[in-house]
Amino acid sequence: MQRRVENIAMFGLACLWTFPLIWAFWTAFRPREMATSWELTPDFTLNNFVHVWNGAPFAQYYLNTLIIVTGILAVQLVTATLAAYVFAKVRFWGRDILFILFLVQIIVPADVLLFPNYNVLGDLSLLDTKLGIMMPYFASALGIFLLRQTFKTFPSELEEAARMEGCSWWQMLWKIYVPLARPTYIAFGLVSVSYHWNNFMWPLIVTNSVENRPLTVGLAIFATSFETGAQWAEVSAATVMVILPLLLAFLLFQRQFLNSFIHSGIK
Amino acid sequence: MRFLKSVLVIILSMVLLAGCSAAKPAANVQNNEGKAEEKVELTFYYPVAVGGPLTKTIDGMAAEFMKENPNIAVKPVYTGSYADTTTKVQAGVQGKNPPDIAIVQSTELYSLLDMDAILPLDDLIAQDGGDEFIKDFYPGFLENSQVDGKTYSIPFQRSTIVLYYNKDAFKEVGLDPAKPPKNWDELVDYAKKLNKDGRTGVEIPTTGFAYWLFQAFALENGKNLMSADGKEVYFDTPENVEALQLWIDLAKRDKVMPEGVIDWATVPSNFIAGKTAMMYHTTGNLTNVKTNAKFDFGVAYLPAKKNFGSPTGGGNFYLFKGIDEKKQKAAWKFIKFMTEPERTAQWSIDTGYVAARKSAYETEKMKNYISEFPAAAVARDQLEFAKAELSTHNNGRVTKALSDALQAAITGQTAPAEALKKAQQEAEKALATFNK
Repeated sequence: MQRRVENIAMFGLACLWTFPLIWAFWTAFRPREMATSWELTPDFTLNNFVHVWNGAPFAQYYLNTLIIVTGILAVQLVTATLAAYVFAKVRFWGRDILFILFLVQIIVPADVLLFPNYNVLGDLSLLDTKLGIMMPYFASALGIFLLRQTFKTFPSELEEAARMEGCSWWQMLWKIYVPLARPTYIAFGLVSVSYHWNNFMWPLIVTNSVENRPLTVGLAIFATSFETGAQWAEVSAATVMVILPLLLAFLLFQRQFLNSFIHSGIK
Repeated sequence: MRFLKSVLVIILSMVLLAGCSAAKPAANVQNNEGKAEEKVELTFYYPVAVGGPLTKTIDGMAAEFMKENPNIAVKPVYTGSYADTTTKVQAGVQGKNPPDIAIVQSTELYSLLDMDAILPLDDLIAQDGGDEFIKDFYPGFLENSQVDGKTYSIPFQRSTIVLYYNKDAFKEVGLDPAKPPKNWDELVDYAKKLNKDGRTGVEIPTTGFAYWLFQAFALENGKNLMSADGKEVYFDTPENVEALQLWIDLAKRDKVMPEGVIDWATVPSNFIAGKTAMMYHTTGNLTNVKTNAKFDFGVAYLPAKKNFGSPTGGGNFYLFKGIDEKKQKAAWKFIKFMTEPERTAQWSIDTGYVAARKSAYETEKMKNYISEFPAAAVARDQLEFAKAELSTHNNGRVTKALSDALQAAITGQTAPAEALKKAQQEAEKALATFNK
């Protein structure tokens, strides 16, 4: 009985969660004037997509977003792994205080740092570059925190055994710590990729050229239409275009994601 | 700490490497061009507030300008919404990297002045254009540009509120479609007749720009909400309480408007779908309604109380301090180019914005457009009664105080008089430092 109630509740939540998504997909393929009605007429069109695609250089934007997201993630993984190892396993004076200072970064909202970051990038002549968009995110406190917690759970016997076999610390990190922490890497990767895929304000402020701007800027052209009120059909089409690659990637790799979470822990 | 330092060192060295490799070719290009002819480069920030691919229209206008002026290169940069644009401009000003030209909301005048960010344009106007140029703009628009006898911005994409009504619905209930409601009493009366199941009589948006719509009622009932120098506000006058009461009564007492919050963005969709027979909305919507409405519709002045009235809105051209004189002149040339009567007329036809200059309405283009679509002239004619949009020092806080009060009153949490009084007190606090 309880089981059934739980199932129904879960199903209800799932419906609630997918509703905006389904609505966006549905509206994206409907003619403009029928955008807000649910009538089941056989009118479907691709015009919205054509209109949106021609409205902004989306091919360039896709490429830029891809470069920015993978660039940030790649650097983050390196810095977070190294920092997490140090915070988890190396003893030195002031370690805990330094770690807490690092954690404060999670609490400070990114918007507060817009102006200071902009000024620093200006001094470095990195305004309007992809590197400029990426740089403030190279060291992620969240990534360091997650990895440190994971590394801490590994027994030190593992490390001792590896040393007996003659591993350098670098090999140890690469062959023991990184593979064992795979679920954490994947979890953090998901958070990082989706955050930077969706980031809008920072790239908008730092960049001026089409060559350096991400997808969200293209979406904004259609979404920020306060003079006319929302053109739902176009906004939906643009939204679908922007989220589709991420959504597809998630659906394709869903099994691997879940497996890695299930098989976590030390065998 | 050592770790932090080493990370910093690594990052910095990466940056330096990237910086060096990127900087070299750029410098060469500049040198080459410098020898050939003195080319002035301008960055131009602009927001898009009407939805759709206007970025292409602006790019096209800039390209045309560069063809006419080969020694000036304009780089248009799309900067999101008005709010995003303001943030980007502020970041640039603080980082000593302001844009050369930007379209920013007309109401940012005082906040930009308080940042000491913008240039007065009077010298440029005197050198090129003069009175003939500046007097051609409608005074209702210029009010948001001028303070202490100086002009700081040139109106460009400007709008105002008008009443849209569904003529088919008027005929259906026996109202004359040539006679839209002229005053508040008729508004209530007509709305009652038009109201039926599945269709409301009228919709006035209450999210996002509630203060703007409220300003229309305040103006119709006698007086604007702030002083011309942006240092005083008059929120809690008996006239304004009466105005707010009417707004609330439309929903609560007469039941001709949906109760509670009415979203700014969905009101036009509702009107186009026939879910409301009349709406208060910006003229920026005209082209949208014209292309999408499947019925005959009309546009009219907002119904009057003591007089007609509507606030203006939208964005103006600003020039920024810290750019050299050569650039200022080039930028001024660009602004004059963008506001030429022919171009202003075309811009108005493409977007639905009101053309900001009188002479734009004298062009062939505009005359033809109006004879074919008379509704386009209504907003211009209403400009005679239009006044500046709410804009004061410390604008963000003052506007928010009023918007919050309006929300509280509309959702029924606070009585109108009390809500406006609270807004008045908060606004006075926010303005205290400017009144010493």
